[in-house]
Amino acid sequence: MSEHAILPPGVQLLALAVLALVLAWVIRLIRTQRLSVRDSLTSLLTTLAALVVTAFPALLAAGARLVGVQVPSNAIFGAGLVYLAVNLLSVTIANSGNAERTRRLAQECALLRAELDRLKARGDAGRPSSPP
Amino acid sequence: MRLLAIVPALDEARSLGPLLASMRAALPDAELCVVDDGSADDTAGVAARAGATVLRLPVNLGIGGAVQAGYKLALERGVDVAVQIDGDGQHDPAQVALLLAPLARGEADLVVGSRFLAAGGFRSTVVRRAGIRYLCWFLRLRCGVRVTDPTSGFRAAGRRAIALFARAYPSDYPEPESLAVATRSHLTLCEVPVTMRERAHGASSITPLRTLYYLVKVTVALLFLPRREPRPGAAEVHP
Repeated sequence: MSEHAILPPGVQLLALAVLALVLAWVIRLIRTQRLSVRDSLTSLLTTLAALVVTAFPALLAAGARLVGVQVPSNAIFGAGLVYLAVNLLSVTIANSGNAERTRRLAQECALLRAELDRLKARGDAGRPSSPP
Repeated sequence: MRLLAIVPALDEARSLGPLLASMRAALPDAELCVVDDGSADDTAGVAARAGATVLRLPVNLGIGGAVQAGYKLALERGVDVAVQIDGDGQHDPAQVALLLAPLARGEADLVVGSRFLAAGGFRSTVVRRAGIRYLCWFLRLRCGVRVTDPTSGFRAAGRRAIALFARAYPSDYPEPESLAVATRSHLTLCEVPVTMRERAHGASSITPLRTLYYLVKVTVALLFLPRREPRPGAAEVHP
């Protein structure tokens, strides 16, 4: 099976351009510190993998044959869905972690404030008259 | 026995005053701790004026996060028993003594007040009772927990339960799940009959759609419980 059947050169160029743009965007977000490397690692790696496969469609064809997918373009859709699912899951994991951290911080904050109230009350009680 | 009472409250400024007064009368030696879960009304002010320790959560964490904040305070204070009482007035402070008895006798680490073991009182709607039946069945099937009122938020926790809940307390409708967590950590559970009242003011947070979510959430949580913890004794749980 020829590579041209999978990806016509025009489409391949467009896909490469789009993926390169996405990659450049992610890198820019990291460099301007709007996205942490930790959180962007899955996006970076999966986008890079997509770039490689788009640059060398023979890989996709071989992969499709290996798994037994009849039409290689269907493998693209499959890979695309996996790409989205993986990235979505990594976002959700990060979000759960943040929820847990928020919970601990809020509790700690409340405990400290209660302690502060107690100390203030003790301080006021020890003072002869109310502060000016 | 040193006692801390945990009262999770969200917009309960109206019912909190009388509740705290009756708690003061029923539990004269206890420290009262109101956890204000981000109320918009004067819940925190009412609680502070009534002489309670107030934990003001800066953001709304839900009942699980609020109650856990109380258990963290209990652990910090080093009390012997922490009692959970809802801020909406459906639990009667006079019945706390019933919860404390098994703890004092050393028969249990966690005592749950069950409205279905006693006659009379408020027993919730038919739909919710069916849901509770299902939860009982599933808890017994999955974890071998035998309780009649798994959603009860009227409970007393001994030192081992306080240490566990300060460290690990579920969020989002936490009561049935927390019983499973406690059993998995080799704590002893027991139930005592109590009567509950219908809430005095405001609406319950649990609508029909949320009842469904409640059941699904607890089912999934129970299916995928965290790994069983090793038996205490090897420098675990007890501080």
